[in-house]
Amino acid sequence: MLKALIALLFFQLCGETLVSVLHSPIPGPVAGMLLLWIALAIKGGPSKDLDQVSHTLIQYLSLFFLPAGVGLFFLPASVQQYWPAILAAMLVGTLASMLFSGFLMKRLSAKKAGAE
Amino acid sequence: MPDLLTQTTLKGQALIEQSGLLPGSPNVWQSLIHKPLFGLLLTLVIFQLALWFYNWCGRKAFVHPVAVSSVAIAALLKLSGISYSEYVDGNGLLYFLLGPTTVALAIPLYKEFHHIRKLALPIVLTVIFGGAFAAASAVGIAWFMGSDEQVLLSLAPKSVTTPIAIGVAENIGGLATLTTGVVVFTGVIGVLLSPLVFYLLQLRDPRQQGMILGLNAHGIGTARAFELNPTSGAFATLAMGLNGAFTALTLPYIIPLF
Repeated sequence: MLKALIALLFFQLCGETLVSVLHSPIPGPVAGMLLLWIALAIKGGPSKDLDQVSHTLIQYLSLFFLPAGVGLFFLPASVQQYWPAILAAMLVGTLASMLFSGFLMKRLSAKKAGAE
Repeated sequence: MPDLLTQTTLKGQALIEQSGLLPGSPNVWQSLIHKPLFGLLLTLVIFQLALWFYNWCGRKAFVHPVAVSSVAIAALLKLSGISYSEYVDGNGLLYFLLGPTTVALAIPLYKEFHHIRKLALPIVLTVIFGGAFAAASAVGIAWFMGSDEQVLLSLAPKSVTTPIAIGVAENIGGLATLTTGVVVFTGVIGVLLSPLVFYLLQLRDPRQQGMILGLNAHGIGTARAFELNPTSGAFATLAMGLNGAFTALTLPYIIPLF
């Protein structure tokens, strides 16, 4: 487990360094993910240890968002009056964009399958 | 005589309360709930309970553990008088783990890459147009309902994963606390709506389901996609990563145009 954690934190650090050197708006962990992906492609796959630790961490991905989500119930007073608009944007906006992107993906994949 | 007895009892109670030995006494309770560890333990215990409930309900999207536990935690914090900033400080460990977990997403991405390569063009096009639509629809609806500028700017990165969204929101002048909450709840709502969307569009392909979850509901959608199927999870990871990168690179340049 320790080796896998070292690998993950090492790539995160590399990603964060790269991003700050390049002044890129991409967050460090995302750059770290891309670097690890490249490393895996060169090496030919993850070790069993890295595979297991990653699987465990990803399983709890939504837990790591939880403290941030609780913040929505503690908004500053200046924002609270816009509650209905915020809720509508989240509910209706997400439904509309899911339908739109789902439709798009389905059509484009069907075209691709038809062309082959 | 009875008077003396009552007096001694009262004195004794006061002494015990001062010493903080009784669990019911305010001293122990106050020092317990204001320990940083309490906030973290609260998150973990409530989430574990919510997970059991989720599994017990057959993993139905509408009892998503993040939705159930965030409401429960918010209610408990309000009841016990713990401030949100104190609670968040105690949960730094979970926030920290978001980083290495994002890096860990490289593994499923690598393993499922052969599926992804075949669909490269539809994926890239859907991410660009779908990502732009997600931001535009949220901002458009809130604008129509009369939100002020700061709220609009905070809503723009709502479908992007939290670390990216916070960076973007700060970059364009939004409110980081609002963005974070909105992002997480967009993820939860995306997961809640996903069965309806898949039914309406007759979307049964796990690759397409994963794309929609990752693109619109970022990390929370990705976690849900991994529960459905590993291929679905890899597609969700890819969509989340591409949408994050695309939004982070374009939004700071689009906003000044308005």
